[in-house]
Amino acid sequence: MDYIISIIPQMLLGTVDTLRLFFVTIVLSIPLGVVLALGRVSSFKTLRTCISGYVCLLRGTPLMLQLLFVYYGLPFIPVIGIRLDDFPAAIFAFVLNYAAYFCEIFRAGIQSIPKGQYEAAQTLGMNYVQTMRRIVLPQVLKVILPPVSNETITLVKDTSLIYVLAMNDLLRTTRNLVQRDFNIMPFVVAGVFYLIMTMVLTYMFDKLEKKFSVYD
Amino acid sequence: MKKIDARNIIKNFGNLEVLKGIDLEVNEGEVVAVIGPSGSGKSTLLRCLNKLEIINQGTIIIDGETLVDTDAKGEPKYASGEAATKIICKMGMVFQQFNLFPHMTVLENLIEAPVNVQKRDVAEVTKEAEILLEKVGLSDKRDVYPRKLSGGQQQRVAIARALAMKPDIMLFDEPTSSLDPELTGEVLKTMRNLAEDRMTMVVVTHEMGFAREVATKVMFMADGIVQEQGCPEELFTNPKNERLQAFLQKVLH
Repeated sequence: MDYIISIIPQMLLGTVDTLRLFFVTIVLSIPLGVVLALGRVSSFKTLRTCISGYVCLLRGTPLMLQLLFVYYGLPFIPVIGIRLDDFPAAIFAFVLNYAAYFCEIFRAGIQSIPKGQYEAAQTLGMNYVQTMRRIVLPQVLKVILPPVSNETITLVKDTSLIYVLAMNDLLRTTRNLVQRDFNIMPFVVAGVFYLIMTMVLTYMFDKLEKKFSVYD
Repeated sequence: MKKIDARNIIKNFGNLEVLKGIDLEVNEGEVVAVIGPSGSGKSTLLRCLNKLEIINQGTIIIDGETLVDTDAKGEPKYASGEAATKIICKMGMVFQQFNLFPHMTVLENLIEAPVNVQKRDVAEVTKEAEILLEKVGLSDKRDVYPRKLSGGQQQRVAIARALAMKPDIMLFDEPTSSLDPELTGEVLKTMRNLAEDRMTMVVVTHEMGFAREVATKVMFMADGIVQEQGCPEELFTNPKNERLQAFLQKVLH
């Protein structure tokens, strides 16, 4: 027990890095996903094709590969070759990757809204922005909550991939402790930490779903 | 005064000619019932009037304002965005599937567009909405979500929602076709009241009783053409067109 208490401060420090990556990714990738989804259902064919290609590429290759590519590969690309620090590189890869997934979730959500809703809005004189903001997106929100919840929980766990960039997130801190102390207890504690994070998220999404179920 | 003046409306879906040059004139206070077999183009005609369908050729003038005209090359030219919206807002539309906004309460459904599109005062619109709900007999449902209502109640809310925009004209696209038979009566009664208040109405319907008793003019469409039109009495008791005779034989017996 004393041992566990002794390692908790270090592990909390690791958790801060994990949470930082988590929150920045969520805050950036969801709006980007919305914009991509709106482009994906728009009437511009070129835009639709470009976004499909983007989604295909980002969903079709491992996040780990994307992460390594952004960190180690980007500097070698001619002309645009830029070298990002580990945290910005991680954010960059995670946001691009998660935006692709969110784009598909939002697209499905938008397409699940019946045509009649748009027509009713149109006959009431609403323009595109009003129709989307007041009529379509609020209904989409309800439909996409379960898959978004799923994706968000996956993100908590995916953050552990940044250990390949030698960042001291929760997982890497844990591994260091295990190797230093020849004790597997940190693994258990890390498991509990991840569980707490995902449980808090699950709880929040359940609340949200309840809130949106009033009109069922 | 002509409220709707549509001339030579042609509408194709791909290679399919749905409307083959339809004329529709509706004067103030008139109730026009459009009847005909399914696939005859009657719903499409109605949807052309408020730009839910883009026509291929023709002219539509609503309350003296041109929604669409056809230029010398035969291309339809619609009024620009804002002008078109203003014209469309003169017409209230009631759909077969109600199309209420499920995430809003009954009252919110009614005040949404008057407040956010017409930019009218919330308190004033709310007061009017409450009067409208009373008119359609749903005052007690103002804070209920649409899914909790029966089909007939939803359709009455949809009518009230359209009326909240203070339209000059009401368009009904088979308003009772997706209702259980015992619920059609309450919706038809609401429409009858509207007609008595001298609202200008175009009603696409399969309710022959309604067409006969409430309409001032009946139009029979088949194959994208107006086959016969006239006052209901004449049309129902003494149909001249063969298609109409066959149609009436089927639906009235």
